[in-house]
Amino acid sequence: MSRGRFRYKSGKIVVELPKEEREFLSDVLELLSSIPSSGDDPATRRLQVPVYLDDPEANSEWWLFMGEELSIARSADRDVYQRVMDSEKRITLTTEEADAFLRVLNEGRLALGARFGLEVEADHDQLPEEQRQVLDYLGWTLEEMTVALSAAL
Amino acid sequence: MTTRPSPVITPETGESTDVDLPWQVIVWNDPVNTMAYVVYVFRKLFGYDVEKATKLMLEVHFEGRSRVSDGSREKAEIDCFRLHGHGLWATMEQ
Repeated sequence: MSRGRFRYKSGKIVVELPKEEREFLSDVLELLSSIPSSGDDPATRRLQVPVYLDDPEANSEWWLFMGEELSIARSADRDVYQRVMDSEKRITLTTEEADAFLRVLNEGRLALGARFGLEVEADHDQLPEEQRQVLDYLGWTLEEMTVALSAAL
Repeated sequence: MTTRPSPVITPETGESTDVDLPWQVIVWNDPVNTMAYVVYVFRKLFGYDVEKATKLMLEVHFEGRSRVSDGSREKAEIDCFRLHGHGLWATMEQ
């Protein structure tokens, strides 16, 4: 039985991703950089969901201040993700770095799901096979990293 | 000539003001986030044990929403920030 691609070991997360998987996962960064910061793109809307449902003014204010902080944090996460993509097959991450990797993966999956038109869980099964496979692969990768990081809690 | 506005007198009603009410942070269901990931985020951000984090995740999944934390407005805004940073849809209400 092969070892997992993400393993918790001595306080760190060991990542082992074959080249072809790193190449595929690099597309997540391209996807995220293609998302406009405002407008009607479903991915934009999903990544900027309202915080105050009944108070548009408070919501705008939250996104004005916290949204900028969120953009900075997401950008730093993507730098970590890029480093993993640029690495050799094996790389060791701190749990904070692994967490950043996980957030980018999840952000990419959310953006794709939104662009694919997923509104409820059942929509997943109605997707074209290629779209479903991409989401499932990212979901599988996300789950493996989640399990590895959960061991660190 | 400058006209100064009259002071607004608020009648005493004996009722508590909005400031007194705690804010609640709600996480909403979505079709993409995985169950294991949501449990992980609740454990990591709030320090909940597996049982409590799983219970909250199941509320989100089956009831559509769950109250995951509460407190002052400032705390709720920060909790929402951390949840949004992990891709969960969190809102706050009083």
